[in-house]
Amino acid sequence: MTNTAEVVTPTIRQAGRAWRFWVIAGVLAVLVTLASIVITGATGAAGKPLSPTDASPKGSKALAEVLRQHGVAVTSSDSMAATRAAAGSPADTTIFLVDDGHFLNAEQLVELSRLSSNLILMTPDFDQLNAVAPQVALAGTVSGVVHADCSLRPVTRAKTVTGTGSGFRVIGSDPEVVTCLGSGDDIFSLVQVVHSGTRVTVLGTTAAFSNQFVITEGNAAFALGLLGSTSNLVWMLPSIDEASGPTAAELTPAWVSDVLVLLIIATIAAGFWRGRRFGPLVVENLPVVVRSSETMRGRARLYEKSSSRLHALDSLRIGTVDRLGSLCGLPRVADVEEVIRAVAYVTRRPEPEIAQLLRDADPATEAELIRLSDALLELERAVAAATRENSTTIDTPAHDKEPGE
Amino acid sequence: MVISGWFVALLLAGVVPIVVTNDPRWLVWWLGIAVVLAAIDLVIAASPRRVILTRDVPARVRLGESVAATLVIDNAGRRTIRGVVRDAWQPSAGAHPTRTRIVIRGGERRAIRTGLTPIRRGERRAAHVTIRSYGPLRLAARQATMNAPGAIRVLPPFHSRKHLPSRLAKLRELDGRTSVMIRGQGTEFDSLREYVRGDDVRSIDWRATARRQDPQGGQLLMVRTWRPERDRRVVIVIDSGRTSAARIAGEPRIDTAFESALLLAALATRAGDRVDLVIFDRRVRGRVQGASGPELLSRMVDTMATVDPELIEPDWGAVPGLVRSVTSQHALVVIATSIDAPGASRGLLAVLPQLTRRHTVVVSSVTDPDVLAATRDRSRRSEVYLAAAAERALLDQSRVAAAIRQLGGDVVTGSPSDLPPALADRYIALKAAGRL
Repeated sequence: MTNTAEVVTPTIRQAGRAWRFWVIAGVLAVLVTLASIVITGATGAAGKPLSPTDASPKGSKALAEVLRQHGVAVTSSDSMAATRAAAGSPADTTIFLVDDGHFLNAEQLVELSRLSSNLILMTPDFDQLNAVAPQVALAGTVSGVVHADCSLRPVTRAKTVTGTGSGFRVIGSDPEVVTCLGSGDDIFSLVQVVHSGTRVTVLGTTAAFSNQFVITEGNAAFALGLLGSTSNLVWMLPSIDEASGPTAAELTPAWVSDVLVLLIIATIAAGFWRGRRFGPLVVENLPVVVRSSETMRGRARLYEKSSSRLHALDSLRIGTVDRLGSLCGLPRVADVEEVIRAVAYVTRRPEPEIAQLLRDADPATEAELIRLSDALLELERAVAAATRENSTTIDTPAHDKEPGE
Repeated sequence: MVISGWFVALLLAGVVPIVVTNDPRWLVWWLGIAVVLAAIDLVIAASPRRVILTRDVPARVRLGESVAATLVIDNAGRRTIRGVVRDAWQPSAGAHPTRTRIVIRGGERRAIRTGLTPIRRGERRAAHVTIRSYGPLRLAARQATMNAPGAIRVLPPFHSRKHLPSRLAKLRELDGRTSVMIRGQGTEFDSLREYVRGDDVRSIDWRATARRQDPQGGQLLMVRTWRPERDRRVVIVIDSGRTSAARIAGEPRIDTAFESALLLAALATRAGDRVDLVIFDRRVRGRVQGASGPELLSRMVDTMATVDPELIEPDWGAVPGLVRSVTSQHALVVIATSIDAPGASRGLLAVLPQLTRRHTVVVSSVTDPDVLAATRDRSRRSEVYLAAAAERALLDQSRVAAAIRQLGGDVVTGSPSDLPPALADRYIALKAAGRL
């Protein structure tokens, strides 16, 4: 009575000791992840295809570095504002736009064409083409190697270029339009037009600019020739922030996101509130439960599956013969012949009919089996009725005769 | 540590200031306020660990009856414990309520009553007590689980005791019957008395009549009176092997065996016989020897309470030795087992001659009323096959029963509700016939 109860729940200190390893391991894992992110440099453009800072096979760091070594000022930009700042005089500036997400709209593209004299568009979409190169239309994908087929210097120097990417077609017959790197069917991987004084080059050769393929074919000469024509290159990979239209945050009141955060926290708290266990469960050994009629049912299904009609009927007959024998007052050792004779006598039915039912009939169909089983039951009832009648006649002969005759 | 629904409500209430002020700083402030309040609550809450637990559990209860178990919680700390207690019993102990609100001031104690209505026979245990102690704001609570073992033994229900008065009356009739009706080997000489009209003349003892000198001069006839034999041995062997686990009409075979054993024991001990019980599969699971009167029954139910069937084949070869270890005299040996199939009963049939040579053997077995019902219903194809299988099962049973009778044993069968009185009647019949 003096000692307090033995506590099972660990104290915070004990729980801390038990969980120490996992806490330390978790913290370490988070630190390693953070460090690796910092080291690899989580800059905006990294990881995007054809990024000038990405050294992976899909990036284009090789191209950017070679251009820098040749004295071209390469600036990476992910927004209109940065591009504006980086662009010098339009005559000196080349803008290389890689806009996979097609975030920039027509007005922004027109502005780009004003910022430079040499605008190079890598796989633009319909709206963008419409804004600065309305003569050019999209024409599906191109694969394989394309050959130089025009007088454009970078192309003639390259001779062959990896064409994998998109192709374009020219609408109308503008004499100023230059088409290069045709892959048949009037599809070209390079189309050059002039838009209000600016040379606009529409390119589809995405693979040729990537680190992976830039050293094959004449890709290097082709890319360097196109991008290195001026001393200032703005390599623009627009981020989603440049996409036009108001964002969700601008459309909703300021408190909505706060309330959402609060609701999420409250939901988690509610989970802890409802989910906290009120002490451990108490275990219990449960007894074995076996249904006693399982063997009987199993045997019935076995009979049914194999359609052993005669076997099933014989089982029924054995039971019936046994009961008929005792009803007719025969000893337990009486055989079927004796039972048949006694039953025929008691029920005043022909002996062959009883013998057929109790011994000889072989059911050919299920219907016949059901009929025979019903006949067995009926016979049992008839014999029971007959023997009862006999016994009452013997017991009270006078009483039985009077109402009958 | 536990947080309450109030804490969640407090968090949700933060929506109001955030919307009204439209200031993002309020989110952080509100979360801070809620966490600080909960922390204060947690610190102020009384420790649920500093308690002394005392259990007061009745030792026994019959299955189907209810008792109250008491748990006394002594607050050894100084602060008031406000909260909820869970008294953790096994599910089949049928504890209710399982959670109780408590307020215990420092140094005081409270008793919590938990009703127990067990749903299974055997030893039902309580493992631990969990206390959740809330702070004054009821935002957060401290929780601790303490070991507090307790146990209650749930005894077999002995429903068949309702048959006892009628069977005892039969037994008394046996006692008072005229000698001719029960005269035989098994009756014992009781006393001599004067002849009264109605006595059987064959029981007149002529030697005693000759010896008797009436003081008034007349000659009085003397008759012998008899009484049923007494002080015989009854050995009940209950099979707790795999076939006893089968459930018939919602009751395991072993429970029916217990019921019939209890009724037989109650009857035999009133009739002056000595009853011994052995529960057996491959080892002795329970044994009651040398008890009589009310002590016998209480020891029997106590022994039976914790025995559950095991999924093993009983070792019948050891049974004759077991019976010999109980008694060397002639006895009525009642074997409660199942006689469903010749294959499964081979072990029993093999040792039966050894038993019948020395003892009167009765094999009692439960029959399934569903089997009998299945033989009658033959309206559809699948039911005809089922009826065939049922007939087959009945045939197997009757074959085993015939084999037992051939080996000198006696067979008592019945549905779970009929078997105990049937066995009692067979005992009375054997006693009347003097075959004990």
